[in-house]
This record gives sequence, C-alpha cells and structure tokens, in this order.
Amino acid sequence: MLAAVTLSLLRGLMTTLELFFLTLLFALPLGLLISFGSMSRLTPLRGVTKGIVWVIRGTPLMLQILVIFYGPGLLFGLPLLPRFTAALVSFVINYACYFSEIFRGGIQSVPAGQYEAGQVLGMTRPQIFFRITLLQVIKRIVPPMSNEFITLVKDTALVRIISVYEIIWMGESYIKKGMIWPLFYTAVFYLAVNGLLTLLFGRFEKKLSYFR
Amino acid sequence: MKRKLLILALMLGLTLSLCACAAKDKAPQDGDTAYIQEKGTLVVGITDFAPMDYQNENGEWIGFDADMAKAFAESLGVKVEFIEINWDNKIMELETKAIDCVWNGMTLTEEVTTAMATSEPYCLNGQVVVISSDKAADYQDTDSLKTLRFAAENGSAGAGELESLGLEYVAKPTQADALLEVASGASDACVIDLLMAGAMIGEGTSYPDLTYTVQLNSEEYGVGFRKGSNLAEAFNTFWKKAYDEGTVLKTATAYGVQESIIEK
Repeated sequence: MLAAVTLSLLRGLMTTLELFFLTLLFALPLGLLISFGSMSRLTPLRGVTKGIVWVIRGTPLMLQILVIFYGPGLLFGLPLLPRFTAALVSFVINYACYFSEIFRGGIQSVPAGQYEAGQVLGMTRPQIFFRITLLQVIKRIVPPMSNEFITLVKDTALVRIISVYEIIWMGESYIKKGMIWPLFYTAVFYLAVNGLLTLLFGRFEKKLSYFR
Repeated sequence: MKRKLLILALMLGLTLSLCACAAKDKAPQDGDTAYIQEKGTLVVGITDFAPMDYQNENGEWIGFDADMAKAFAESLGVKVEFIEINWDNKIMELETKAIDCVWNGMTLTEEVTTAMATSEPYCLNGQVVVISSDKAADYQDTDSLKTLRFAAENGSAGAGELESLGLEYVAKPTQADALLEVASGASDACVIDLLMAGAMIGEGTSYPDLTYTVQLNSEEYGVGFRKGSNLAEAFNTFWKKAYDEGTVLKTATAYGVQESIIEK
C-alpha cells in the first residue's frame, strides 16, 4: 500500500516540480524586466508597472488562477487555455511581480557612487549594469530569493482549484477511499524538496561570499 | 508628460473595447450537440465518487455513471473523456466549455436546475445522517439531531437539508471529507448521499464503525449540461432507448444501484 501511494504521490510531485521549474524559468527574467519598468525614468511606464505589481501582489493567487483559467471563457466566450498552462501563466505573472521587487531592492542597494565611477570611466549604462551591478545584486538577493523559492514550492498546491493534479490533490483523493494518511504523507515530499533547496542556497551563498 | 499619459489611457481603452467586440461576435451558438460532434469528444466532469465514478486498477474510470457516459458518447459518435473537477467550480467549468456535462450522481437541486440544462432524473437518492454505530440508537428521529455537531459538503444537498432544519454544520470540500470529520471525532455526525453511505460505510469498508440513521429527504439525480444546450434532450432520448433495451438496469446491477433507478 505504501508503495502504491508513494508512486501516485510521486506522479503528483512531478506536476508540482514541473510547475516549480517552469515558473522560475519564465518568472525570473520577467521579474527583472518588471523591476526595470518600476525604476524607469518614464513616469507613465513606471506608473503602469507599479499598478500591475500592486494588483498582482494585492490579490490572492488563487483568485488569479481562477481568472486566468475561467476568465477568457466567462467574459469573452473564448476557448480556454489548457489547465496546466493557465496555472503556469498565473504563477509566472504572480512570482515575476514579487521577484521584481526583490530585484529592485537589490539593484537600488548598490551605492550610486559605483554608477558614477562607471560613468567617469566612460562605461555605458548596460555595461555598468552587467559588469558592476548585477553580480552584487545576485549576491544580495539570495536570502530573500530563497524565501520565495520555498514559498513557490508550497504555493503550487493552489492549482488543484482548477483540477491540476499536483501532489496534494493526489494525497487528498485517498480520503475518498478511506485513507487519511496519504494527505499528511505529502509533507515528506515537500520537506525533501525544500530541504534540497535550502542546502543548494546555502552552498550558493557560500560560493558568492568572495570580496569581504 | 500629461500627453503621454493620455495616449496610454486611450490605448488601454481601445484594447479593452476591441476585446469586448471580439466577445460579441462569438456569442451566437450552434447546437451544443453539433459542437460536440465536430470536436469529436464528450468531456464529462466528474469527481471520484463510488459507485458512480471511480477508477479501477488500470486507472480507467468505471462506475454506473461512467459506464453510461461511455454509452452516451458512443450514441453521439464521439469519444468520451473524463475530467476530475473541483465540484465547487462545476458551473464555471460548464459555461467556459472546459467540460461538456456534469455526470456524477448530481442531485437536481434548485441551484443546479437554474444554472444548467438538466436531463430528466434517472436515479433516486436521499440525504442521510451518518453517525458512529454506538451512538446511533439515540438519534433515530429529526428532533434528536439538535444536540449534534454536524459536517457536510459545502453547497451540497445535505448541507441544504441541515440549513432548512436550522442546524449548524462545518462545511467541507467533499462528502468524503465530511465522513472524515465524523471518523476522526471532529464532528458527531455528517449528512451525505444515501448511495454514497451505502457504498462507503459499514462493515467491510474503511469506516466499519459508522452507520446511517435518519433519512432527511428524497431527491433525484440528473445529468447537467450547459444552459440552453440541446444535449439534455439527446440524453433523454438515449436514456429511454437504453432503458427499454435493458442496458440501464444491467449496468446498474453491476454496481449495486439497481434499487435506485427510476423507471422509464
């Protein structure tokens, strides 16, 4: 019985992990882009970006998942996205907004003197960003990012609202068969994944602890 | 700077109105049956609910409802696809065409009949009070229920019965969760379908210490289609024919629900 349950939970975990990695893949670059938007010198662009970030961070992710999956059909009678895609889109948008604020914090924490020094040396803005700022940013945002990564692993449980069969869904389905423990057993898998992430982040932080 | 803002606002407005136009063009609908046949699959929204819909060892959906849904799809000349849905979202799932019908031992409540095109009822059911066997003797009529702490599936027919009796309850996502409340002792009793109680509690099941006492009402099961869909009619014709041919009763007997089938 344990083997059968483990197998079916592992199948759920695959969906969970797929969502996790794909969200990171798309949300990290998008988040950087959004952070540029929210630091832009163009007031309208900055306003719109901050507005979007406000809406996305200010509403529950569960609601966003529902809107992205059912919204097109309910409002415009359009065909729906596949369930997993809809879940992914909502996660990418949501997490990109959170990431953008972390990136912004990281970028703005680099002293202005370094930009000025770069300018004096005749470097262009992109050169300053990629050669001087970015590395320091990465170093500084590791701890808040590890928070987000770990939260993301657990947030994937929300997608069962639109019937994406992730690990909690698989665990819960055993309740109907009279077995309660598989639902709680899912915790082991979350702990394993997050344990691994914690270790990786710890190593990464150590690697980055040069200059000092 | 002001002009830039104005242009931005105009562009936003334009995009929104374009979206609205696109929506209107889509509005007129051909018959739902034609839509299903063109698409080639009937997508059936279900939940894991023995003996109506459940999976066998190979992961194939079987059960009285599942088997009949397969036969119905065949009569339309299309393939069948089962999707386990979140029961709370069944109306949205239908409206957005994520599924084509809800066929899962669904009680024809007023909420269901106003939000969906429903078939004629095909199966009888009732809501019963489930309680642990050692307490059952004291709770054999409706009046005795007042002192119990109840659980019921959120928005289900059972929850409705409790509300009309003026009894409070803990709302759970599924009937199985409500049973779990009772089994764990978090609630004294729960109200679930008679069919489900018959299949899930008592000796030889995972809940040997539970039993059911009072039946609070009697109700009918039906299949739900999109509002305005002509599939409900196609279903009624199919069902009458299947009943006359004996398929309905044969399938029902295989899953032990023949007593509840409505005569056609």
